[in-house]
Amino acid sequence: MSNFTILLSLQKIAGLLSLAGALIVVAVVVFLLISATKEEDKTTAKEKVYKLRGRYLWGIIVMAIVLLFISFKSLPYSHSKEKAAEEVTVVGYQWLWKMDKGVYNAKLEDFGGKNEIELPVNKSIKFIVTSTDVNHNFAIYNSAGVLVTQTQAMPQHKNILQYTFKEKGEYQILCLEYCGTAHDFMVGIIHIN
Amino acid sequence: MIQIDSTDIKKQKKLALTWAITFLILFPVLITLGLLMRLRQGEVTEAAPSEFFSYMTLHGLGMAGVLFSFAFAALWYLNSTRYVKLNVKFGWFLYIIIAIGVVGLLIGTLIGKFGPGWYMLYPLPFKGTFWPLWATKLSVISLIILGVGWLVGILHILYALAKEYGGITNLLGWQYLKKDNSNIREIPSMVLITTISLIPGVFALIIGAAMLIMYLLQSFEPSLAFDPLMMKNMVMFFGHTLVNITMYCAVGWVYALLPEFTHREWKVNKAVVYSWNATFFFILFAYLHHLYMDFVQPTSLQYLGQIISYSSAIPATGITMFGVIAQVYHAKMKWSIIPLMFLFGMAGWAIGGFAAVVDSTIALNSSLHNTLWVPAHFHTYMLMGVVLFILGFLYYLFSGNNKEEKDSFGNAGFWIFVLGSYGFLLMFYLGGLNSVPRRYSNYSGIEIDHVRETGVHLAQCAALFVGVLLIGLILMYLSLICRLVQQKATNKKND
Ligand code: HEM
Ligand SMILES: [Cu+2]
Repeated sequence: MSNFTILLSLQKIAGLLSLAGALIVVAVVVFLLISATKEEDKTTAKEKVYKLRGRYLWGIIVMAIVLLFISFKSLPYSHSKEKAAEEVTVVGYQWLWKMDKGVYNAKLEDFGGKNEIELPVNKSIKFIVTSTDVNHNFAIYNSAGVLVTQTQAMPQHKNILQYTFKEKGEYQILCLEYCGTAHDFMVGIIHIN
Repeated sequence: MIQIDSTDIKKQKKLALTWAITFLILFPVLITLGLLMRLRQGEVTEAAPSEFFSYMTLHGLGMAGVLFSFAFAALWYLNSTRYVKLNVKFGWFLYIIIAIGVVGLLIGTLIGKFGPGWYMLYPLPFKGTFWPLWATKLSVISLIILGVGWLVGILHILYALAKEYGGITNLLGWQYLKKDNSNIREIPSMVLITTISLIPGVFALIIGAAMLIMYLLQSFEPSLAFDPLMMKNMVMFFGHTLVNITMYCAVGWVYALLPEFTHREWKVNKAVVYSWNATFFFILFAYLHHLYMDFVQPTSLQYLGQIISYSSAIPATGITMFGVIAQVYHAKMKWSIIPLMFLFGMAGWAIGGFAAVVDSTIALNSSLHNTLWVPAHFHTYMLMGVVLFILGFLYYLFSGNNKEEKDSFGNAGFWIFVLGSYGFLLMFYLGGLNSVPRRYSNYSGIEIDHVRETGVHLAQCAALFVGVLLIGLILMYLSLICRLVQQKATNKKND
């Protein structure tokens, strides 16, 4: 899938797939609107539909299995990735982000990070993401404004997100889990150089 | 087969009509809240975040609750007038219980500004809130009242059906799977689907009640703390399952009513039994796809979530949608408004379902989770699926012998409603594809120009399309009222 993503963002793949699905549905609806007014013996009509259904079921089962295998190749869970070059602790607060290099195990209230950080390009970065209060979601947008990856920030838990930044420049952080009044103002920046 | 006498049918119909009118009043009110949200996001109006988020909470809880309640009431009506005796007084009791819950929620959200969103992710209702604690307490208690009402109502239906059809295994259709099934107790397809939908509802409501009681405990004893991951699993199991079975309940009455227009039977057979029993299983585990981005959730459950989500499309399309095709293909039928709504409802379910399957792919979820793609797909199968099934049922309920008559008002309204709705939905989809976040009261805090500007423009267009769909809805309301008046008049003449 990573080859595809160079040509097409994952959002575009999702959009094109869904558009294709919707067009098939529209075609079927138009066909049914027209064909339903015609007459045919119940049993022969049923036989035709059932024959088609048999083929459809085989097709969709095979397709589902193939797509499951392909898509399971690129999971965001860190244990399937290589060793990280840099570790970053990320903490969500109502309503700001703090990031700092290294693993932090002391009290979260005393965590000294900032909502800006500099990180190297083309190196695997391991984000250790948590929260002090409620659920937030640490979402990374590239300089073109495309959401490239994310993980939830859950209090009492640490989510490990591993990601390699492919381009230099500014990546913006937004919060993608509704967390109260200023949820929509919880921003941060990652400078990649 | 039991005979249901006509006075019972009359009494049940009165209850169903009361539910119908309640639905017809609440639905546009809740849409208005949606419109206000889109106007705020489009920077056409100004509203404080507290206002936006409490509207959002009321809209979400209200729509999910009203649609489920109505789907339940419709199944109650159809089962009680065709297949089993249900206690109509108990039906009214449930109506009142649910009404009390709704009033409590209205006070909690509109006056108390309770606003943690419809799935009120723990511990949000207790930390950094813009609403007072009493609003949390009142809203949680109201939800418990609603849940208890639904639970006892479901149990009443299941019990009555089991008694009539000889036990729960018969309701699940297992008698069809016997080697020699020539002499078995047959069940109508709607009864099978009612069972398959409502049993997971029992599980969901029990888990939901347990969760809400934990919320209530914490609201009285702030030192309490529960594990947020466990609470998220619980709330998603509860919320996802309830919304999911709303769709399946609605599909149940399509199986029962569509054959009246195609003049072809739609009976239970082995394939239908296998498919709906598989669906039963899928309903219970599909919720796992809500936790993909919680990387601490055991990875095996993440795999399971995607496998189950993909699988659930197989019986839905292969059996139910092909069932619709077998119903209408060359059936020499008229596309009067009721079958038209059922056909388009299936289409909306398929389109929204497809977008849901895309989002339930873990690899794609990293790019779509909690963007506007999420409201995009679930609004598609709720608004263009469940709501169309409900409108079709309402037309059925409000009509007499004129079910298949030409209805230009209704038809015009229908097409305008469909057009406006898909326009409104398209703006959500485009928002998702452009990485616009969901649940933002306004986009001005986003420092990425492209995302901010796209978000605002799409919200403005969406608000226009909501205007269109409302015009369609008004036309349909007029034609519905005409039918009801006609029905009352003929009933009087016959008495
Ligand atoms: C018909 C017109 C409707 C309009 C204009 C509308 C509008 C909206 C808007 C603007 C949002 C907030 C989106 C965001 O996250 O930024 C929303 C959320 C939502 N809507 Fe609707 N909606 C409509 C119909 C429905 C229906 C039929 C349902 C049925 C279940 C529904 C259920 C929900 C739910 C559950 C949420 C999520 C609330 C939350 O995130 O807490 N809506 N809607
Ligand atoms: Cu946040």
